[in-house]
Amino acid sequence: MNDMDAGLLQDFLTEAGELIEQLDQDLVTLESTEGQEQSDICNACFRALHTIKGAAGFLGLDTVTEFAHAAEDALNKLRKGEVAVTPSVMDLLLQSADVVRGQIDQLAGGDTPDAADPALIAQLHAVADGSFGDGAAPAAADAPTEDQPAASGGADDLPGTPLKLGPQKMDLIEFMATDLKEYVGQLDEAIDGLANDATREESADLLGQIADNLVKTADFFELDDLTALTQSLFDIAPKLHEAKHDLLGDIVVRIRACRQLIEQQADALENERALSWDIDTITQRLGALADGESVDAGAHDDDVAKVLELDGVVSASAAAAPAPTTPDEPADTTPDDGPLARIEPEAPAPPTPDAKKPAAKAAPPAPERRNGEDRRQGDRRQSAGNAAPEQTIRVEVGRLEELLNLVGQLVLSKNRINALARDLRETIGIPHEDGERIGEAASDLDRLTGELQVGVMRTRMQPLAKLFDRYPRVVRDIARATGKQINLEVEGKDTEVDKTVLENLADPLVHILRNSADHGVESPEDREAAGKDKQGTVRLTAEHQGSHVRVAISDDGKGLDRAVIGNKAIERGLTTPDQLEKLEDSEVFRFIFEAGFSTAKQVSDLSGRGVGMDVVRTNIAKLNGAVNIDSIKGKGTTIEILIPLTVAIMPAMIVVSHDEQYAIPLQSVIEIVRPEDAAISSVQGQRVVRIRNTVLPLIDLREKLHQPTDDPYNRFAVVVKVGGTQAGLVVDRLIGQQEIVIKPLDDEYTQGGPFSGATIREDGKVCLILDVVQVLKDNTVRLADAA
Amino acid sequence: MSDSPQDHNATANDSDVLQLVSFEIGTEEYAIPILAVQEINRMMSITRVPNSPPSVEGVINLRGRIIPVVDLRKRFGLSEVEDSADARIIVVEVGQQGRVLGFMVDRVNQVLRLARDIVDPAPSVAGAAGADFVEGVGKLEDRLLILLDLDRLFADTELPTEALAAAA
Repeated sequence: MNDMDAGLLQDFLTEAGELIEQLDQDLVTLESTEGQEQSDICNACFRALHTIKGAAGFLGLDTVTEFAHAAEDALNKLRKGEVAVTPSVMDLLLQSADVVRGQIDQLAGGDTPDAADPALIAQLHAVADGSFGDGAAPAAADAPTEDQPAASGGADDLPGTPLKLGPQKMDLIEFMATDLKEYVGQLDEAIDGLANDATREESADLLGQIADNLVKTADFFELDDLTALTQSLFDIAPKLHEAKHDLLGDIVVRIRACRQLIEQQADALENERALSWDIDTITQRLGALADGESVDAGAHDDDVAKVLELDGVVSASAAAAPAPTTPDEPADTTPDDGPLARIEPEAPAPPTPDAKKPAAKAAPPAPERRNGEDRRQGDRRQSAGNAAPEQTIRVEVGRLEELLNLVGQLVLSKNRINALARDLRETIGIPHEDGERIGEAASDLDRLTGELQVGVMRTRMQPLAKLFDRYPRVVRDIARATGKQINLEVEGKDTEVDKTVLENLADPLVHILRNSADHGVESPEDREAAGKDKQGTVRLTAEHQGSHVRVAISDDGKGLDRAVIGNKAIERGLTTPDQLEKLEDSEVFRFIFEAGFSTAKQVSDLSGRGVGMDVVRTNIAKLNGAVNIDSIKGKGTTIEILIPLTVAIMPAMIVVSHDEQYAIPLQSVIEIVRPEDAAISSVQGQRVVRIRNTVLPLIDLREKLHQPTDDPYNRFAVVVKVGGTQAGLVVDRLIGQQEIVIKPLDDEYTQGGPFSGATIREDGKVCLILDVVQVLKDNTVRLADAA
Repeated sequence: MSDSPQDHNATANDSDVLQLVSFEIGTEEYAIPILAVQEINRMMSITRVPNSPPSVEGVINLRGRIIPVVDLRKRFGLSEVEDSADARIIVVEVGQQGRVLGFMVDRVNQVLRLARDIVDPAPSVAGAAGADFVEGVGKLEDRLLILLDLDRLFADTELPTEALAAAA
């Protein structure tokens, strides 16, 4: 068990990561609650830390274990109400969560985690022994630092005697109990196989292996009887190859009896109890039977309970561990209430009439969670604490991507089949009935593929809560650092979006949120002076709007100043005073998304606004989304983000330029016009077209893509819009609107062009997706001149 | 360990034996390690990608994955010829990141095993192609094989001429 299995480590990393995330949220919530709720959250935090500590101990990660232990002790004080929840204690705990997170990150990066800062540990110890700053409640001074959360009251009703082990081992009990149960499940398998001549050798070997593992586990926990019992199983296992056929029934029933004892001990272990039995007889008899000597113990009818009684296991331990009788066995088979009585209803083997094949049907299918085979080890922790069957499974993202890829190809094949079916009916001309039938089959395929596609897409959807739940911490830290009072309201965090969307949304949201909290919301004094509530509010909302998700961050702070931003824009040469006057407020505010717009020393009102806003725009554009800003001076700012639900599939306009097809995301397309020659003119070398009352710059896609420009004829202009910029993309032909599956175009050889990806056409050929932002980008300077 | 006579030299010590796939481009015969080869496909429709390096012919759809295809004729500075029916796209995995790309060859010849000691290091002056991506020359009884270093062949960052033209 000292093997640091890579899979096990990966499970630890995933789970610890999630626990830390949860811990972070809980700690922030903790601060703003009181009474019962506070103590509930406190307990949740404690459990999270405890689990991390236990798992880290299991993996031998001493630095993590040590630090988590210190933090756990401190938290324990809070939990018991011996230390008050104050901002400084919370700072310390949040900092501790960060340290553990850092250690986990180090592990994930393949490094050995550093030990935590001793000063921090000292502070945690100070909290734990009640001497920490302002945090210590009066009662804390001489309270005992009891650290055995699992040892509950009422333990005396349980069978066996309490286990007394070192703290390191105590921490592992949960895992080992689960391990034991897993072995029990495997034992069932081995026992089943023993009864069958064909599988006996194999099963005997399996039994030997399981017993070997069991001996080690039992020995580690200083469970002497269990060690002796499993040792005897280990000893007889190799002999079973040659076991006498007529003795097999006697042997199997005894092995099954052992299995039952092991299971009882596993259950008892969860309550930190050790069981003891009188197992001398049963081990002796097992040994004799395996050596081919028959044992005259009396009739057992293949009944486990009876065997345990016959071999003197039950009555011997009855006094030590009284328990209720098993419902299956009437009092005459278990005259003394033994530990056997704790057998779970599914555990006892029903008597089988056919003595020659006692185990054929006898072993019940292992209970769902003991079936060990296909369960991942990482789930042990959960199964130990929580008996409910799992409703979710973890799947590697790679597998989902594969599925999605396959579905994408299926959609293409389907399209081809549909085209063929159409051809068959219309062009080739087959009998009407056949045509109908083919048509029906094709449309069935169409519908099923569509459903499959939606289903697979949904597996990639994740709730925005994954992001939103991190933000209370962000806002809290800013509020603490700036001395502001900020209340973060979160709405619609259950809204689900594609995984990629979620990932690309993380940075922009943090930037916007920081800006709102740091620069939007004023200090309490300023707010009072302005006649507002001292506490500022930042609202984070999300909702579905058709095929889009709308995420909005609004604050009730001081708002944006049009004049300041406008002047800055003129200064930077982004606009002219004349143009500025004609712009809407929202168009002026949009300047803050320009790269480096506020990197220089800023007018105070604007300070910081725009730092990282460029990131916001770029990331959102990557998702084919849009950002809008609305702000009223003195009242607050709202930034709205609209993004498509999924980035893997999107509607696009397919166009032809020269002899190649390209896809333009429909999100960016405003309209399609067929400009008359008369409407096209040239302004300073830039071709423009007059559409209704506006003058739009024209970008010839052929020029842009270095295609021959020799045979221009009646062409179309696809009017596209990115942010505030509009332009007409001149193309040769339109194919039409299609749902396209987006594929990355990420090789270094193919990254240079203005493409955001590629898709696969019905005929299997690749079609590139135009990145409208990039297509317009190089033209923006010239466009500004031209307009 | 096999004792069959034709294998005898090759199996003497596996580390001394190269397993190669040989192919022709123009009049030369080249070879690459068989382990780098993912698959060999017939010519298929290639989509041109503007602003990519000149030797990059475009991208293809490899069962749902988009990968670039390099024209080794252009890469080696040879004149272009019409693709014959023998032309193939060899899909290889190169570099640490397992980058997958394809390249066009005129014909795929054979899979062969070659004792390492009959491979000479690349001559300092190479023929039509630059020597930087030639790993060595294998001397067969009747002909010479140019062994290519795939990592170097595709690792260089030749500047796309179109991008340069656009910047000017």
